Amino acid sequence: MKKLFDRVFDGADEMYALAEKAIEDAVAKLGENTPLSMPNTAYHLANYLSYTKRQVTTISELKDAFEEAKTWRVREQNLSAVFRTGFGTFMAAETIEACKYAKSADPYEGNYHGHLSDAEVRELGVPLVTNDIPGFVVIYGRAPSDEEAVDIIKGYQTRGIFVFLLGEIIEQARRLDLNMGFPVRVVAVGPDIWQVAHIISFVNRAAMIFGAVQPGDRYELDEYTFWRIHAFVNVYEPVSDIVVACGGGAIAMGFPVITNDEEDMWAVPKSLIIQKTTPDFIETSLEARDIKLKITNVDIPVAFSSAFEGEIVRKADMRIDYDGSRFDSFELVRMAEAHEIEDHAIEIIGPDIDETPEGERLGVGIIADVAGKNMVKDFEPVFERNFHNFINCAEGIMHTGQRDIIRIRISKTAFDAGFRLKHIGEILYAKIMSEYESVVDKCSVKIYTRPEDLKTLRAEANAVYDTRDARLLSLTDESVDVFYNCILCQSFSPSHVCIVTPERLGLCGAVSWLDAKATNRLNPQGPCQVVTRERVVDPEIGIWEDVNENVFASSHGNLESVSLYSIMVDPMTSCGCFECICGIEPFSNGVVIVNREHIGVTPLGMTFPEMASMTGGGVQTPGFMGHGKHFIASKKFMKAEGGSLRIVWMPKALKDLVASKLNVTAKELYDIDNFSDMIGDETVAEDPEALMEFLAEKGHPALGMDPMF
Amino acid sequence: MRKEELNFTTVEQMEADTVRLCELADEAGAETWQKRKEQQQPQCKFGEQGICCRICSMGPCRVTPKADRGICGADAHAIAGRHYLRMAAAGSASHSDHAREMAHALLKSNPDSQFNIRDEAKLMRIAAEWGIESEGRDLYDVAHDVALHGLNEFGKPFGTLDCLKRATDERQKVWADQEIEPRAIDREVCTSLHMTHMGNTADAPTLVRQSLRVGMADGWGGSMIGTDFSDILFGTPTARATEGNLGVLENDMVNIVVHGHDPAFSEMMVLASETKEMQDYAREKGAKGINMAGLCCTANEVAMRHGVRMVGNFLQQENAVLTGAIEMMCVDVQCIFPALGPLTDCFHTIFVTSSPIARIPGSKYVKFETETAFEQAKTLVAEAIDNFANRDSKKVFIPEHKEAAAVGYPCEQIILELDGVTNSHGVLTVNGEKEERGSYKPAIDAIRAGVLRGAVAMVGCNNPKVRPDFSHIDIMRTLMEHDILVVTTGCAAQAAAKAGLMSKEAKELCGDGLKRVCTLVGIPPILHMGACVDISRMMLLATGIAKDWDVDITKIPVVGCAPEWMSEKAVAIANYVVATGLDVYLGIQPQVHGSEQMIQLITEGTREISGAGYTINTDPDELVKAIIEGIEAKRKLLDI
Repeated sequence: MKKLFDRVFDGADEMYALAEKAIEDAVAKLGENTPLSMPNTAYHLANYLSYTKRQVTTISELKDAFEEAKTWRVREQNLSAVFRTGFGTFMAAETIEACKYAKSADPYEGNYHGHLSDAEVRELGVPLVTNDIPGFVVIYGRAPSDEEAVDIIKGYQTRGIFVFLLGEIIEQARRLDLNMGFPVRVVAVGPDIWQVAHIISFVNRAAMIFGAVQPGDRYELDEYTFWRIHAFVNVYEPVSDIVVACGGGAIAMGFPVITNDEEDMWAVPKSLIIQKTTPDFIETSLEARDIKLKITNVDIPVAFSSAFEGEIVRKADMRIDYDGSRFDSFELVRMAEAHEIEDHAIEIIGPDIDETPEGERLGVGIIADVAGKNMVKDFEPVFERNFHNFINCAEGIMHTGQRDIIRIRISKTAFDAGFRLKHIGEILYAKIMSEYESVVDKCSVKIYTRPEDLKTLRAEANAVYDTRDARLLSLTDESVDVFYNCILCQSFSPSHVCIVTPERLGLCGAVSWLDAKATNRLNPQGPCQVVTRERVVDPEIGIWEDVNENVFASSHGNLESVSLYSIMVDPMTSCGCFECICGIEPFSNGVVIVNREHIGVTPLGMTFPEMASMTGGGVQTPGFMGHGKHFIASKKFMKAEGGSLRIVWMPKALKDLVASKLNVTAKELYDIDNFSDMIGDETVAEDPEALMEFLAEKGHPALGMDPMF
Repeated sequence: MRKEELNFTTVEQMEADTVRLCELADEAGAETWQKRKEQQQPQCKFGEQGICCRICSMGPCRVTPKADRGICGADAHAIAGRHYLRMAAAGSASHSDHAREMAHALLKSNPDSQFNIRDEAKLMRIAAEWGIESEGRDLYDVAHDVALHGLNEFGKPFGTLDCLKRATDERQKVWADQEIEPRAIDREVCTSLHMTHMGNTADAPTLVRQSLRVGMADGWGGSMIGTDFSDILFGTPTARATEGNLGVLENDMVNIVVHGHDPAFSEMMVLASETKEMQDYAREKGAKGINMAGLCCTANEVAMRHGVRMVGNFLQQENAVLTGAIEMMCVDVQCIFPALGPLTDCFHTIFVTSSPIARIPGSKYVKFETETAFEQAKTLVAEAIDNFANRDSKKVFIPEHKEAAAVGYPCEQIILELDGVTNSHGVLTVNGEKEERGSYKPAIDAIRAGVLRGAVAMVGCNNPKVRPDFSHIDIMRTLMEHDILVVTTGCAAQAAAKAGLMSKEAKELCGDGLKRVCTLVGIPPILHMGACVDISRMMLLATGIAKDWDVDITKIPVVGCAPEWMSEKAVAIANYVVATGLDVYLGIQPQVHGSEQMIQLITEGTREISGAGYTINTDPDELVKAIIEGIEAKRKLLDI
């Protein structure tokens, strides 16, 4: 039997030979000085950067870097040599891929995903911490049959596991029309083993973005991937040496490899696992990587998994469209007395889906009544806002919006599988009872579809929303006794801590002060803890002694102090999954804000990924700060530096989202009407000169303010 | 934690503490082994080479260039060989007599005393193995029958030892073919003494063969029974956390140190000190509590059963007293310096001996009886507490060094840990068999794939002939770097503990292979298997691996190493390890090198008998190199 380590070394040699050829070819065709980069990343060739600290930007630099990568091949009979060779193999693979991207910005022309963008890495931050994505699988090779290929992919998908596909299994899935793509968490990365470089690049960037792992720091990188990235690999027989070499690198990162190939294969517990029964790959893998699934049994006829959250139901596929933009619709959670509720009662008032013609558009109203000894009224909106996440997890059901601007589409496939309105009730019941079990004892759901009912009930719901808004407005940092911290992200960004206040929600946008309070109530030992704010140091900049003490303790000594209202003095750190990042724009004395979804360049000459790479991982970077979208309109937004008046540029979509609230704030604080109109966006400027011209024309107040540094 | 951040205590730091304590000894007018070693120089060359015979009163006879035979005509080979066999017999007698004490304790066990059955499953397993009926019988009736059966092993008139059946079929055949199967334990010791009497065996090969046999009577007899019965009575050890080195002594507590080898007495001391009555009494007397600490192999016993902290190993026994902070030192048997008598006189420390086997001038002798053990222990603890007031704070110096250690990995615990990395979904091992729980297969797979290169049993004492602890620590660290798992007992274990190598963090000092195994399994890179009597556990571990692997035990890449050995027990151990088929690497010359034939026999000759032998090198760097080469050579033969 050929020794395992020799298989790794021989396989590495094969990959290096291919890389050598790719470079020669690129030099011959493009010349040494041609620039080279992966699209939409601030981390260059992330594998080279992680392992060797090299920032590769041209073919000639790649050539030099590859020379160094060659020294990572060490033919010694020990695991350290195998791990190092595995990483070397990833650099060789990245070399091959980089040469492709040097020749074309889109080498796969939409057939394969290829490189993953920084934005895609960041997008997964929140679902990773909430355990909505409990892990990642990389599947390579050809499954025993097309049907089994689809079964395993869907099997992982319904368990929330993010799926990366490499090689023939992609064609197998395509033959059976499997819906794939980043939003449904099944990514067809590429046809060959060397596209594994993109997956490893994705992981290495996660380590740098969320874990603040410094390039070249092998120890921290290993610790991060082993403990924080719950990935594993499934490989179908036959497994060649070059795949074994990549497996060596995967195992180095802590990712076990599960295969059905016995030939020259050496079992190593929890690392290299031989499972002859391929349908058992899923359970074998989850056990090998110690992945425990958060399972809520929902009694519905379609699959239910967070993987389907991003799924879109198109017009042609829909059976019914409940459209809140045209018809009265709403969602409402009401607290009630226990005796008023019949637990698990689900009532449909009005015609159900099967009583409505195909393709019909109409309204819908959903009321969930909850009761519990520990329930408080402030939790109503917290639960309600999660209807979106809950309902979206059902396969073939799309939900957008909240309150009275919702839309729910149900696909024909889901309808044919038997999905009816009562199943929305089942979803809400199951999720509310499991997610909030410590405060909810009973829950019932009513769903309305008659226009006359909807009209009156919507009016009632609006009255409730108004009351809540009034309550929210009255909630200021000064009016509450305590703040909360949120260390939810520490599972992958170990030194970051958010301080959540009424006027400053968590930077991920997912945790408001009320959410944090609810989380604390639901689990007093959980990720959100009370932070007192009694010993004030500077209320303008937002410094409290007790807040600092808490930050010091909960960041494990990484941070000594935080200013809640400043981006210049000890700004709040970021985990890396922030919705937006703001950064100083020096010519205008203002700041530019860009959200994760925006692809273009900002007037700072940087894209979102590039700005985002300035901070994250629990590091304080004065002048740059990650934050939630709804913090922009807060009166506390960089209050120390003059507040929201400093905002000079935002992408148009973001500006539209926050305009109304921002205008109210600007009016109230500075007596400026329609302030948002003074803020530039990509339609007027993508460079500082054009921006300055625009700001001058609008008479933007930032121009007259003091420089920030 | 990064390797650079570990900051474990170095040998140099330990030596600096010792220097400071020796200075305090001078001030107190006390004497230490360092001084006595100096006074002993030069040590007798004839004795060292094993060629001085004083077995009969015609002697002493020495082999010199002028006189190559003694008066009776015994040559250097016969003299050295007889001396070697006598050492092995004495070692075997010591472990076995300790075991006999345990058997008597088991015989007297009853549910109402402190000597009761704490591992019923093990009792039942051994009862079944020995054909003792247990179905429907009272637990203690079974225990007493098991004890009687064990006692019979010491003097059975016919047959060979029952524990031999635990070995692989291959080993049992080798032992039978080579006629080294031990008969009754006492018989082998007796035969050895008889063979070496004036006028008997003068043939060195025969003396070496009997050394193997009398060693076997220890490892597959006395020690194995002693360990099993200790587990039944006091519980099979399980993984737990403790600390090691002089820093475990407490300034504001009553420090009681238990020292020696027999767990019966120390168990009672620990239980007595844990009573509320004694804890309250200590506080009443102005102490914050009672700090029990262990020395030598007794430390290993109580550490892995109670987490009692380890103050140090063999050559640290005087250091412990020199801290001036010990209220009482209680000893049982073996490896106790007679020097403790005069030394404790210089301090307030009460020196208590408890066994008729080890009576020492200058001690308070309390004859320890099974029936009254617990009450005796309570009286002693109270006396130690009373002595707290006599501590002279001017004489107190407790070095700060101590390190965390994870201890308690007998075979049962190792298997439990390995179960944690198995997969319950019917995956295959490299043999193509289904993986299962309750076996060593996960470890075997890791060895076969090359993740682990092999395993070394690090055992043995301290010896002033070399830098104390240096060889242990140096060799262990090199093995760790080379992905070789270490199992350890005795004073070697405590050297590891003092250097932090038994902590889980020590995995950072390992190669990636051993580090990954430690991470996945959740173990330290050096597994603590107990006291020197527990080297029998190591024989069962190696046997289990060979059985699960389905190869001869001589082929598995597992060896033994005793770099600082000193006692006769070590000679017995080395012999049974070799007889079991495992190579042994020694860092101290056995006292036979006045005979070329003897050196040839113990390094090469035994390989013809059992398939294993000694490699001797007093340079630890060269010794560890030889170990690694030996392990890689075994791998090569297995084609892995």
